[in-house]
This record gives sequence, C-alpha cells and structure tokens, in this order.
Amino acid sequence: MTPIAPPSPHGYPTPFWLLEALKVFGFWLHAGPMNLWYAGMPAAVLLRFLGGTHGRHLARRLASVMPIAIALGVNFGIIPLLFTQVVNYQFFYPAGVLIAWPWLGVIGLLTVAYYGVYVHAESSRRGLVLAAGAASALLLVAIGFLFANNFSLMTNPGQWLAIFGRTAIAGAPSGLALNLGDPTLLPRWLMMFGLAMTTAAAYIALDTAYFERSGDDTYSRWAGRFAVLLYTVGLVWFAAAGSWYVFGTWHKHVQQAAIARPAIAALMAATAAAPGLPWLLLVLWRRVGAPKLAAWAAAAQFGVIGINAVSRQWVQNVELRPYADLASVPVHAQWVAFGAFVAALMAAIWVVAWMVLRLRAAWLRSNPN
Amino acid sequence: MHYPFWYVPWLTSPMLIAIIATLHVFVAMFAVGGGFVLALGARAGYRPGGGPLLDYLRQFAWFFILITVAYGAITGVGVWWIIGLASPLATEELIHIFIFVWGLEYTAFLVEIVSAFVFFYGWGRLDARTHQITVRIYAVSAWLSLVLITGITAFMLNTGGWSQGAGLWRAFWNPQTVPQIVARTGTSLMLAALFVFLHAALKLPRGGEVHARIARLTARWAMLGGALVIVGGAGWFVLSPPSAQAALAAAAALNILMVLLFALTALVIVMLYLGPYRKPEWVNPGFAILFFSMGFAATAAGEFVREAVRKPYIVYGSILGNGIRVAEVPRARVEGFLNNGTWTRAYIGERYPQLLDRGRIDQARLPNLPLAQRREIGRVLFQYHCNDCHAVTGYSGVDQLIRGWTRGMIADVVRAPDRAAFFMPPWCGTPEEAEVLTDYLASVARPYPAGLMRPGGEGSQ
Repeated sequence: MTPIAPPSPHGYPTPFWLLEALKVFGFWLHAGPMNLWYAGMPAAVLLRFLGGTHGRHLARRLASVMPIAIALGVNFGIIPLLFTQVVNYQFFYPAGVLIAWPWLGVIGLLTVAYYGVYVHAESSRRGLVLAAGAASALLLVAIGFLFANNFSLMTNPGQWLAIFGRTAIAGAPSGLALNLGDPTLLPRWLMMFGLAMTTAAAYIALDTAYFERSGDDTYSRWAGRFAVLLYTVGLVWFAAAGSWYVFGTWHKHVQQAAIARPAIAALMAATAAAPGLPWLLLVLWRRVGAPKLAAWAAAAQFGVIGINAVSRQWVQNVELRPYADLASVPVHAQWVAFGAFVAALMAAIWVVAWMVLRLRAAWLRSNPN
Repeated sequence: MHYPFWYVPWLTSPMLIAIIATLHVFVAMFAVGGGFVLALGARAGYRPGGGPLLDYLRQFAWFFILITVAYGAITGVGVWWIIGLASPLATEELIHIFIFVWGLEYTAFLVEIVSAFVFFYGWGRLDARTHQITVRIYAVSAWLSLVLITGITAFMLNTGGWSQGAGLWRAFWNPQTVPQIVARTGTSLMLAALFVFLHAALKLPRGGEVHARIARLTARWAMLGGALVIVGGAGWFVLSPPSAQAALAAAAALNILMVLLFALTALVIVMLYLGPYRKPEWVNPGFAILFFSMGFAATAAGEFVREAVRKPYIVYGSILGNGIRVAEVPRARVEGFLNNGTWTRAYIGERYPQLLDRGRIDQARLPNLPLAQRREIGRVLFQYHCNDCHAVTGYSGVDQLIRGWTRGMIADVVRAPDRAAFFMPPWCGTPEEAEVLTDYLASVARPYPAGLMRPGGEGSQ
C-alpha cells in the first residue's frame, strides 16, 4: 500500500478550486521569467561566444535582463510553492524527502547560478564572462532537471516505496536518490525546455521591437530572424517532447480521462496547438515589421504558458486522484485573510506599476532616441 | 511520523534548518535594517552638500542588492526547502493555518524586490523625490515582511491557547508577536550597521567626511536597535511559556548562550557609542570584521535559543519536536508508534511480515523476535522518535548521553522521557515498543569512562 499521510485536521482555508486557481495563477506568473532564464541564458552564452556582431549584441541584452528575470522568477515561484504545500502536501513532502539531498542542492546551485549571471552580465573579462555564463546556464538547466525529478515523483506515488526500499537506513531515507526510473521524467524536462525556448524567442522579439533603441536596422532584421528561428526550434522540440510525454508515458487512466470529456479534450488540443499562434504572429511581424505584432506574439506566448499551466494542473489532479480525494477535504474558510491577501496583492501590483512606470519615464527622458 | 524521516548522519536533519535559517536570517535582517539606512542616507544625501554621501550610497546600494536580493532571497527559499524536508508535519500545520499571512508576506516581498531594483537602476534618472519615495517603499515593505513572518514564528513558541475556531488573526497576534517584532526590528537595525561598517571600512577613506557621516548615522540607529532588542527580548522572556523559561534556567548551554547574547548586545551598544558614534575613525576593516563576527555569533546564538526553548514542541502544544501530533499520542500509545506512522508501518510490513496481523503490526509479537531484529526495529523507532534531536553519534549523540547506563536506566527514560527531562516529548509508543527501543539504545551506549569511580561509588575501575 502506498504510504500517504492523513489529511490535515485544519482542512483547506478556501474551497479547493480557489486554491488550485491560485496555484495555477502563481505558476503562470513564475513560468514567464523562469522560461526566459532557462533557455535565454544558454542562448546568451552561445551567442556571446559563437555569434557575430549582432549575436553578441543580443547576448549582452539578454544577459543584462537575467538578474532581474531571476529575481522576479524566484519571487513569483513562491506562490505556487505555497499553494502546492496547502493542496498537495501529502505528495510534495514525501517526494522531496526521498530525493532530499539533490532537492536541497537546488538552493546551492541556484545561488551559484544567480551570482554567475551577475558576473556574466557585469564583468568585462572575457574568460570570466564565458566561465560564469556557461556555469550558470548549465546549473539552471540542471535545476530544471531536479525540479522535473521532484514533481514527477510527487505525481507518481507508486514509485515511492521502491526508492524508499533502496535508500532507507532503518526506515529513514538517506535522501540520496533521484527519480530516474520514472518514464515521465525526461519528456517533462525536455518539454519544459522546448517551451522555454519559445518564450525566450518571444521575449527577443518584444525586446527588438520595443526596447532596443540603437536604431540599427540590420540588427533588428537579424534579431527578428533569430527570434523566429529560435521559436521554430522550440516549437518542434516542444511538440516532440510533448508527444513523447503524452503518448509514450501517460498512464492509461490519464489518457482515457483526457479524451473522456469534450472540454478536457479541447483543453489538451488547445495546449498542443497554442504555440502555433505566437509563431504565426512572429512570422508576420518579421514580414510586416509592425512592432505591435511582436507585442501580440509576446502576449500570446503568455497565453501559451497559461494554458500549459492549466493543463499541467489537470494532469496532476488526475494522476493523484487514485491516492487521495483532494477535492473533498473540509473547508475552514479564511475569507477575511483571503480578502486581505487579494487586496494586498492589488496594492502591491499598483505600487510596482507606479514605480516601474516612473522608472520607464525617467529612462525615456535620459535616452530620448 | 506521517512523513518519511530524512536521515542525516551525525548532524540530524533538523540541524540543517538551524544552519540554513541562521545563514538566511543574518542577511534577511540586513535587508530590513539596510532599508532604513538607505532611506535615511538618501534623505541626508539629497540635502545641499550631500552629493558625496549620495555617491557612496549608490555603491552601497549595489552591494545591498547583491547580498539581499540574490543571496537573501534564495536562502529564504532555502528555508522553505529545508523545513519541508526536515520537519514536514510542522510545515504542513503552519501553512494550513497561515497560508494567507505568507501570501501577504509574498506581496511585501514583491514590492521589496522591485523597489530595490528601481531604487538602484533609477539612480541619476529618477527625480530626488521619486527616488526617495522608492527607497521608503522598500524600507516599509521590507519591515512589513519582517512583521508578517514574525507573527508565524512567534506562534510556534506561544500559541496563546489558540484553537481552530479562534481564527487566523488570534493565531497571528499571539502573545509573542509584538515583543518579537520589537526585538527583530532592533536586531535588523544593529545588523544593518555591521554590514554598513564593513562596506564603508573597505570602500571609504578613513577620516573622510562621508565616512564619518555614514558611521554616525548608522551608529545612532543601531543604538536605538540595541535598545529595542533589550526591550523586545525582555518581553519575549516574560511572555514565553513556563517551559521555555524553565528551559532557559535549566539548560547550561542555553544559560551560556543567553548570557552571550545579552553580553554581546550590551557590548555592541557601548562600542557603537564609543566608536562609530563619537569617533567614526574607529571604523576600520579590523573593527568592522570584529563587529560583523560578533553579529553573526549573536544571530546564530539567538536562532539556537529560539529553537531550543520551544522543546518539547515545534509548534507549541500541537506538534512535538519529533514530528508527532499531540492529539495522536494517546492512540499511538495504545496501537503502537510503528502502526500509526505511515512510513514506519510500510517499512516494518515490508521487512518483517511475520509481525503483521490483518495488516497491522501485532505488538505482542515484538518481544518474541530475536535480539538482532529487535534492535533493528528499535533503530527504526529511534529514527522516527528520537533522531530529530539526537544523532546516534554526533550532535547531541545518544551514545554519549547514555554512556555507561544500565539497561534498566535506559528503559526508565524510554518509558517516560518527559519525566527524565521536561523538554523531551513523552513516550509515544506501546510498552513492547519501549522494550525494543531500549534493546537498540543499550547496543549503542558507550561504556562508562575508565579511570573513574565505579557508578555507585564502588572505587576506581
């Protein structure tokens, strides 16, 4: 029998659907900057050292935005982390403990990667820039692999006892394991990398259309071509890994559930097809040259990330359903606290927007061209 | 006992919480106090003649961002990681009560990060007023995040008799919240001064005007911080549960750490007055490193004391230090600890199927096992019942604590650890399980040291 902890006596602080919505919303926010550093950092390093003049220029632009992307991505990651622990604690904690050392290693790796990103962006010494950038890019990809390990193990409790049996010392896991035997591990990891490439490409288009102000048309044309190329590679990668994941590794009951209801089947189809829209917009932007098309492509990419977040949550729920009925946990509602949270979030967004707009206006004043 | 216990040899996994928390808190406090320093510094810097001070603050702000936004933020996430790994049940308990307080803290943190970046990247671009508003937004949001997280950690020490029906805000505004906010605010001002001194000592020429201004400005606020630490610390002590006060009085290590804490705080206040405030030229690299080290030692000692005085609980009155829900103790004592533990039951069922009767571990069969197997099962009990606070060999190693004990002495303590020491949890298993744990402990106890009188005063060995 799979060892699942009993439910918390405190129940849920709001209805299940709302917790799930907050979790998905948080992941959606997190995934944007996370995608950017995940694929953007390797791209920046490769372009910096293998690219031509334009490639190096783009690499520097990508590098300069990475410290902020990581800061925001880590910050936005807190929300899904919080709500995962409220809703999925019975699965999240055991999976983490079984792979405790690698999972804890994420913190050390991220610290090194983050400082490496700063060095890569700020240093003028070529060797140091290369070493720091390459190390950071590799570490960020490795962190993605560790995340894929924990979250695939979390949704596959059937694997727990096998890992536990291999690593337990007098009934207590040593934490020296990875979820390498899980068939979903590699496609999940690779699929996310494909999605990250598309997001990085959409960002490059946005940057080229709106933020890059050198006025160099040859660079703009080159960056446009590069963005479309990167998006295309990411799209193919995402489709290949996604097909492997869905058709090659999903349990039968998940596959059946995905086609049992038209709404869910439509969601799955939309998730698969969604990246086609930003790709199309990017191609149009390259041909027509209207900056708004790049903005629309970036917005559509945000939608792609969002629909992926919703689909992932649905799959996760179906995978966990045989082990616990998460939707039937009693609710001890904390509506006042929830209201305070929403109000604070709105206020925070307002304050952040005010500051960013002020900075943007000041920046435009100091860089009129 | 509902989650797998992470075995970390020698150190014990909960000690990793203490290590990571100390590394985080030291910088997190700087993130709060440093915000006030930057806000006050910017106010002085934007006054006529403040240009050099402003130039220095720009350098300091970059150092501040590199330390707080990168290291501070990631070690903060590290605290989440480690508490989920080393203390999952307590984390589950707290997050189900305080999820929206953490949500509020997140919003404060979001504003904190963005305002830090806008403040730095807006240097020379934003007008003076907007620039100052930005840094004040930073200072307020950083302090609010301190307030919000303090309400939760304070709850762990004194729930004020909270129960589910009492609501979230009663849990948040528990008796410990205000004194801890006062003490932590003071600590953050003091720690910020230590970081500023270190940076200024390395970056500014001694005897210069900016060096003197920044030293005086920071020292003044740090002395106020010292006063807040003393006031908050006194409130923390008075409003601690009786067991925490007793632990402070009874445990020699805590005595020493508390004396160290107060002595360091008092010494730092005196040194702040005599040094940076009256004679800013004292702030040289040696002085700054000494101060910095003292601050780190005080932070580590404070974190250790904070964790230690809660014993036998992690969440007072609700979750015991060994990750057992208090409400589940009576059942575990009847049905068995191993039976009630989700993972212990799975492990024993897999390894010792002969103990099972209709899927449950039959307690009556435990004594009939060969000694070697009883010891193995005793070790499982040790991992889940004792290893949160005691390694076998290493941190608070049980092999040393029971050195030379007879089996009878060990059995007495196992049957009622809370009688042997009030800060230990009660025994949470059956008498049969107590016997197998005793078998295991007797096998790891080291012999009585040679060269002493025999126990009972029977002469030299």
